[in-house]
Amino acid sequence: MGKIKRKGQTGQAKNYLTRTAAVKKLQISLPDFRKLCIWKGIYPREPRNKKKVSKSATASTTFYYTKDIQYLLHEPLLNKFREQKVLEKKISRALGRGDLSDAARFERDAARPDKTGKPRYTLNHVIRERYPTFVDALRDLDDCLSMLFLFANLPSTSAVPAKMIARCERLCMEFQHYLIVSHGLRKSFLSIKGIYYQASIQGEDILWLVPYKFNQRIVGDIDFRIMGTFVEFYMTLLGFVNYRLYTGIGLKYPPKFDQTKDDMAAELGAFAIEGVNMATDPNAPKAIASGETAPTKAHGVDPKVQAAVDKIVRQLKQDDSDKAADEATAAETEVDDEDKIDDSIDKFEPVAPGGDILPQPSSGSSDPAELFSNFTFYLSRETPRQPLEFILRAFGCKRIGWDNVLGEGSFTTDESDPSITHQIVDRPVVQAVVDPEDDGEDNQTSQKLTANQRYPGRTYVQPQWVWDSVNDGELKSPELYAPGASLPPHLSPFVQTKQGQYDPTLPLDAQETEKEALDAEIGDKGEGQSGDEDEDEEEEEEEEEEGSDNDMDVGSANDDSEEEEVDDAEGGSGDEEEDSDGEEASAALQRQAELEAEISGKPVKSKQVDAKLKSKLSARKELEKKAKEEAEDLERAKGMLSKKKRKLFEQMQYTNNKKSAEDLKLRSKRRKHEKEQQAKSKA
Amino acid sequence: MPVQRSRVGNPDAPAQYNQPGRKGKKAWRKNVDVSQVVEGLDELNKQIIKGGVIAEKKSSELFTLDVVGDSALPKKFSKHVKKGLKCDEIIAQRSAVPVVPMRKRAGDKTTDGVLPVKRQRTQYITHKELTRLKKVADGHHDSTVAVVDATYDVWAEPMPTEEEVEKFNFLPEAKPLKAPDTLRQQPISLAANGKAIPAVPKPKGGHSYNPDFTDYQDRLIEESEKAVEAERKRLEAIEEERIREEARAKSAAEADAAEARAEMSEWEDDSAWEGLESGGEELTTKAKRAQRKTQAQRNKIKRRKEEERKAKHEAAMKKKAAQVEQIKQLAAEVEEKERQRALEKTEMSDGSEDDGNDFEIRRRQLGKYKLPEKDLELVLPDELQDSLRLLKPEGSLLKDRYRNMLIQGKIESRRHIPFHKEAKTTITEKWSYKDFSMD
Repeated sequence: MGKIKRKGQTGQAKNYLTRTAAVKKLQISLPDFRKLCIWKGIYPREPRNKKKVSKSATASTTFYYTKDIQYLLHEPLLNKFREQKVLEKKISRALGRGDLSDAARFERDAARPDKTGKPRYTLNHVIRERYPTFVDALRDLDDCLSMLFLFANLPSTSAVPAKMIARCERLCMEFQHYLIVSHGLRKSFLSIKGIYYQASIQGEDILWLVPYKFNQRIVGDIDFRIMGTFVEFYMTLLGFVNYRLYTGIGLKYPPKFDQTKDDMAAELGAFAIEGVNMATDPNAPKAIASGETAPTKAHGVDPKVQAAVDKIVRQLKQDDSDKAADEATAAETEVDDEDKIDDSIDKFEPVAPGGDILPQPSSGSSDPAELFSNFTFYLSRETPRQPLEFILRAFGCKRIGWDNVLGEGSFTTDESDPSITHQIVDRPVVQAVVDPEDDGEDNQTSQKLTANQRYPGRTYVQPQWVWDSVNDGELKSPELYAPGASLPPHLSPFVQTKQGQYDPTLPLDAQETEKEALDAEIGDKGEGQSGDEDEDEEEEEEEEEEGSDNDMDVGSANDDSEEEEVDDAEGGSGDEEEDSDGEEASAALQRQAELEAEISGKPVKSKQVDAKLKSKLSARKELEKKAKEEAEDLERAKGMLSKKKRKLFEQMQYTNNKKSAEDLKLRSKRRKHEKEQQAKSKA
Repeated sequence: MPVQRSRVGNPDAPAQYNQPGRKGKKAWRKNVDVSQVVEGLDELNKQIIKGGVIAEKKSSELFTLDVVGDSALPKKFSKHVKKGLKCDEIIAQRSAVPVVPMRKRAGDKTTDGVLPVKRQRTQYITHKELTRLKKVADGHHDSTVAVVDATYDVWAEPMPTEEEVEKFNFLPEAKPLKAPDTLRQQPISLAANGKAIPAVPKPKGGHSYNPDFTDYQDRLIEESEKAVEAERKRLEAIEEERIREEARAKSAAEADAAEARAEMSEWEDDSAWEGLESGGEELTTKAKRAQRKTQAQRNKIKRRKEEERKAKHEAAMKKKAAQVEQIKQLAAEVEEKERQRALEKTEMSDGSEDDGNDFEIRRRQLGKYKLPEKDLELVLPDELQDSLRLLKPEGSLLKDRYRNMLIQGKIESRRHIPFHKEAKTTITEKWSYKDFSMD
């Protein structure tokens, strides 16, 4: 017989601690314990058998690893919490006695380490502990950035102090500046929740979500104490990440922050980025600030001194120009474009035909630093300035002007500036008759331009143009995005298309299968206009597409459908007679052609066309045969499977077929649409 | 309760005069009880001797005003009168030496004739500050750590290694603190498949402000199906509750009826007693007389019994065999089920379309409270605009982030408790008012 063991002395009972036990062991209050756990990354755990772990009669709900709690005992922050507890006691005693000034003094002094002799506690050591390497920190940056960007956009309340908001905002701006300088931003997406951004830093894809401005309602059931604790930790983390990123590309951290500019809502413009060593790289700060001339004006540099310095620097540079070429920092490449290396990334091609479409490296064909670099933008006052400014700058634009209403820091506030090449507008085209005589004095816009008037030589686009251009890595045609035009749908750049899936952005022949293409061509030749098998189904769907083309108005689809029905009635008589099977149909057609030729007494015209058709038909036959064989093989293989597995397989096949049928339908619809377009353009 | 009795008069209960009748010897004069009358006369005599009949005297001759007080009273109510308060008792024990005053006071009011300098209240604490201090004393400090600008690279320096120049070799070396392996474990995600949930799920096309029609339609249909399902469930729950309520009411009514019947039955039983029962005579049957069994009969019975026993045994054996067979089958089934589950899991794990947007939440929750529901992030068809300016953002990011933390298992879900539970108080009367006696 083995040794008799007492209950609750070994195994799970020892490995886990209830929350109450943990709090008692650490001798701190429950809120402090929560904070400590969040900072140190200690999460609630789940024992396999709760009853074996807790000894109490009532069911405990939260458990922690005993080892974790044991480790927490060595945490220097714990000391801080205990000191806080002592301070609380002191204050409450003083208050009880009525010594208010004493109480206030205790409280005041506690924040000053020189008075108490106790060190100031920071979370710096925790950062290194939780993220042993920089890459670890980058991987966890999604949550951090989303949180900080969210808090930067909150209104200040008692739960969220203004100081915290300001700090969040500053850190976020600094991070944005890094992305601007390094051109690390890859994609962005306008969703109904907020704006998604994806950046690539040191090969890590970072995705975060930024809320729209002035939209955050504070709802009741959120624990701001916990959120605040997370934010405190993330602020420290982002500070260090920013430091590392800035110093990594030779910039000084923290960047110069101009409070007066920030008060005037300059946002990104309130920061002046500087290189670490100004003498070796004098051009760096210039390139980043808004407009090339802005910083020199602001600082008021003496031109003589500047000229002298420039001369010396030029000499220095000539000496070690080859050396400078090697350490091509991002700031330098932006300025001198001569030493640009063609660092295009290899594409992954599927080995076998019909293989999966492999995810391509995310950086597009064009350099993100170049996309908007030659343009000058002007933002109308109804457009969202913050995201536009960030994205445009991150993709190389250096001159962005905007209306005075949108804040300080623009390249120009004058809408009539001749250097502007693109203007972003988001207001409807007003068809009002404007008298040329009365230039409305009361209206703000009328002092510059009357409604509907445009400056010549300038491209007017809606904001979505910027996003779609950025996501595709190329400038989209601005006609599609002209003011008042119904915009093409804004697709998510984060969705990966699968093999055979319909992708509206790709041309048709890039995505259709072999059989589909053959079918289409045969149908084309054989029947003249429409030879799709599922004709009536398509008609049903047609009305929906009609709706999507205009304005996504589902409700108003009814009026379209009436027209469609009329079309159906007209075209239906012809369609019904045609056999659905393409082969028979073409045979019948051939015979008819022959008959016609006989009657008219001419030789059969389309001899060579027929030959082509024949080859196509035979190819299709071949394909069908192959598909049949494959299906048979599959059936045989399925016979080997167990019943359950077979069921699962069939289920999978069913859903796949359903999806592919949908894709087929969409493609055929598009084919038809394109054909119509072609016919129209010909006519 | 103490017995209340008057201090004068006969203490016995009032009774009838105890002369039952005037007939017989007891009615003779010498046997008539006149003791009461004699006593009364004696009393009168005594009063006359003492100075007059009391009933004929004036009240002023009988009573005087007592100004001294009853000396016996403290003895009677010793508990209440003598003791005094406990706090007085404690205070009385204190030393006669006066206390050193802790409170800071202004100096006494006597002056030397020179006008005092106006006291400056440099240490004045505003009311707002005071309330804040009180909060701090209650443990509501806003932050215990300082968030300062990063001035160095945390990741640049090597991990701190203690290289002390001077070492005492006689002291045992302190082991470096090592973080436990459990600290590296990922938090428990609340997804049903147990996979880690991304902090920011990748948005799909349906979430776009200007979505593709098919994407939007798919999402709209999906969401509306969900909503319909939720509504159906709600209605079902209501219906179920209603049915249960009805059944409860019905059973209660039945119970009442049964009770009523039980009460009534005493009366209804009378009918039997009155001889209304029918067919009483026919029920009596003639019992067959037992006869001795022959040997053949005995043998027959024996055989039958033996056969029955055998059949029973065989049935039992058959059942047992079937059960054994069933066990095998069950085991196979369980195995198959497990394999199936494993297969599904692997299939789920290599499904690349999982981007953290929608996943099943596991049933076993972390913590006491339920996970808050996700907001419906959907722009309805009639509100859908293709202009960024006209977009009405949906959903609350604040809630979203909070929920994401819960789902990731970083914190357990909590519930906001606006008011603390207060101690229950019950009001009772003291019982001491009943402690009195009348003598």
